[in-house]
Amino acid sequence: MKKVAIVTDSNAGISPQMAKELGVFVIPQPFMIEGKTYFENIDLTYEEFYKTLENEVDVRTSQPVPTDMMEVWDDVLKEYDELVHIPLSSGLSGACQSAMMFADEYDGRVHVVNNQRISVTQKQSVRDALMLIEKGHDGKEIKQILEEDKFNSSIYIMLDTLKYLKKGGRITPAAAAIGTVLKLKPVLQIQGEKLDAFAKARTINQGKKIMIDAIRNDVNTRFGGEDPDNISIHIAHTNNHDMAMEFKAEFEEAFPGVIVKDVDELSLVVSCHIGPGALAVAVCKTLK
Amino acid sequence: MALKTIDAKMLSKMFLAGAKNLDNKKEWINELNVFPVPDGDTGTNMTMTIMAAAKEVAKADGSDMTAVCKAISSGSLRGARGNSGVILSQLFRGFTKSISEKTELNVSDIAEACQKAVETAYKAVMKPKEGTILTVAKGGAERALELVEEGCNDMEVFLEDVLRHMDEVLLQTPEMLPVLKQAGVVDSGGQGLMEVLKGAYDAFMGKEIDFTITETVQTSAPSGRPNYDAQAEADIKFGYCTEFIILLNKTFNIKMEMDFKEYLESIGDSIVVVADDDIVKVHVHTNDPGFAIQRALKYGQLSNLKIDNMRLEHEEKLFKMNEKLEAAEEPMMEKKDTAFIAVSIGDGMNEIFKGLGVDYIIEGGQTMNPSTEDMLTAIEKVNADNIIILPNNKNIILAANQAQSLVEDKNIFVVPTKTVPQGITAVINYMSDLSAEDNVASMNEEIGNVKTGQVTYAVRDTSIDDKEIKQGDYMGIGDAGILSVGTDMLQVTLEMLKAMADEDTELISIYYGAEVSEEDAEAFSEQVEELYPKCDIELQYGGQPIYYYVISAE
Repeated sequence: MKKVAIVTDSNAGISPQMAKELGVFVIPQPFMIEGKTYFENIDLTYEEFYKTLENEVDVRTSQPVPTDMMEVWDDVLKEYDELVHIPLSSGLSGACQSAMMFADEYDGRVHVVNNQRISVTQKQSVRDALMLIEKGHDGKEIKQILEEDKFNSSIYIMLDTLKYLKKGGRITPAAAAIGTVLKLKPVLQIQGEKLDAFAKARTINQGKKIMIDAIRNDVNTRFGGEDPDNISIHIAHTNNHDMAMEFKAEFEEAFPGVIVKDVDELSLVVSCHIGPGALAVAVCKTLK
Repeated sequence: MALKTIDAKMLSKMFLAGAKNLDNKKEWINELNVFPVPDGDTGTNMTMTIMAAAKEVAKADGSDMTAVCKAISSGSLRGARGNSGVILSQLFRGFTKSISEKTELNVSDIAEACQKAVETAYKAVMKPKEGTILTVAKGGAERALELVEEGCNDMEVFLEDVLRHMDEVLLQTPEMLPVLKQAGVVDSGGQGLMEVLKGAYDAFMGKEIDFTITETVQTSAPSGRPNYDAQAEADIKFGYCTEFIILLNKTFNIKMEMDFKEYLESIGDSIVVVADDDIVKVHVHTNDPGFAIQRALKYGQLSNLKIDNMRLEHEEKLFKMNEKLEAAEEPMMEKKDTAFIAVSIGDGMNEIFKGLGVDYIIEGGQTMNPSTEDMLTAIEKVNADNIIILPNNKNIILAANQAQSLVEDKNIFVVPTKTVPQGITAVINYMSDLSAEDNVASMNEEIGNVKTGQVTYAVRDTSIDDKEIKQGDYMGIGDAGILSVGTDMLQVTLEMLKAMADEDTELISIYYGAEVSEEDAEAFSEQVEELYPKCDIELQYGGQPIYYYVISAE
């Protein structure tokens, strides 16, 4: 049997510590802050990141440098027969595209998964991939299974402010056109490729209710019901831990039997476009 | 020999005479409005409705019954404004249904037409209320039927009897609707209907009627613009609209009233003199307001004086109309699946609606109820398959529904928003990936969670909901009636808010009007924040006229 490794990027919210425990490899996401490059979770903590963001310093994201990525691949392939690479959604970054291009040079030993996940759903994909290795699947099969499963997840994000969204570019015109006269809390969704407007709330409680209802609707219409074995729920936030924990409790009350699997910091690639104070929830259909 | 029948010429003449009589009495009918809010004008709305029809009738071939009927029916339908206007238009539509194929109408034809009129009007109203124009119309139709069964075939006797009976029913309306009784008035819509019919009866009886009114009183312009825009400057014979109240220092008897009116007639027109126990309300258009004031001082002190130069206002209106015309010439909007039309007034409110994605704003509200025609114009301009209309005032919902029933090539949905905050909530809840039907359903649900209160002033003394209201008092009006009254605006507003908010309230939105300064509004908002520490408070500039504050709790 082939020995298969899992490689992802830091957008999946997997810390170096957790990577070691899981036995996976993480390529850090680079950021440019005032011209200097930093790496998520290596020399840039979440706290530092939000501080710079709030000080209105110019923060830009960029793709992992291909040579850095290939160095990781080369190292991994010294020990493993092949690897499955799970990058940030191709709808939000060109990283997936370039990874696929470079994978061609590895004689079928590198399988890049284009399943349009990010943050907690990307993390769930990593878990799913590990489970598939356990079951004895090889890299090519894992890629195929994960890609077939790509639409079986959705994320809803409630923003605290529209300020950052308007500065960034990774939103559809519909989302950008949300009125700014009233103090609205827009609820966005990531489904498939893009970050798009889903609904608008006027208060935090209203926004949470919209997200709970949206998840319930997805679960019942697309994922085959509210059975806790059927779905996994993940919460993420941007520098908003207390509210996220509160939301976790409310969610578990709304879906009896469901245990929220993660309460993570939302990946900084998304955070720098939506700013602090956001709350997100994701649902993934359990891969069986 | 008494006439036994009515032909097309006579019907046309009677209709025009009815319209003119209503127009003459409209100020008086406005005074009958139960809610003493500024510009909640039944008389104006009914007049504008009937004038739209009168204009069509004047153009139609008066000898052709079908043409006259069509003019009455479609003219009033499209010109309908306000609830009373819409009901009036439905009465006309029903009335003309069964007679349009006839050449001469006898007593039993008229009775049948009345029956049809009442049936049609009742159907147009979702929850028909007794004690209103509907009851008065029904009373007439029933009496007409009785007379036919009794064998009456003399048109003069018949009409006179029916009218007398309807007058009796009208006098009964305060007994059917407690609000009327408390305010001490008969139903204004019912009174308006009587004025139309009495004018028509006079014409039937051969009384000389001056029809020039149909030439000078503007009806909706063909473009669908409200008539005030179209008024030509040259038509303003008397330039100052003068209003005041006389606080009587002696009894104002009938003789004095007649003398005073006669004097006012010698210096102007559009005269209204309404005497109460100790006050007289006066309204006159004149070129020399000083004369009117001097004369009035003989009877007592004056208060609430208001003099507007109508010629200057008119120029402003023309200017605004030009702006509107320019706006109208903008290229056709990009085609959308679903678009919104909202009725709104005030630059701040309009900005909020536009910011939320509303495609077309019809200027209007309590002050100016847009007509069905205005709605149709808006619908035509909006390039979308599905159009959602937000009337944002309970007196505009019927006109919107009427527009909906007249449009065939687009799907029109009316979300019955009764207030601007309800409209705002409706748009916010729109989700672009749901169908228009699903959206409308969820909007209907959400607007039920919005409580609205609006603060304005009373235009006359009255008593409603067991509250004594003096002219000039501030009133806080909620969804179901008056919540607070007093002389201190801030106090009235806070009391109103207290009556609206409960422990489930999460958000209080405050929209301040054109007459409130930003500083005052901010100070008020801070006060609300202290009183409701658990709620989110949102302060916005609404810029609406007449209503100092519009507040919602949800």
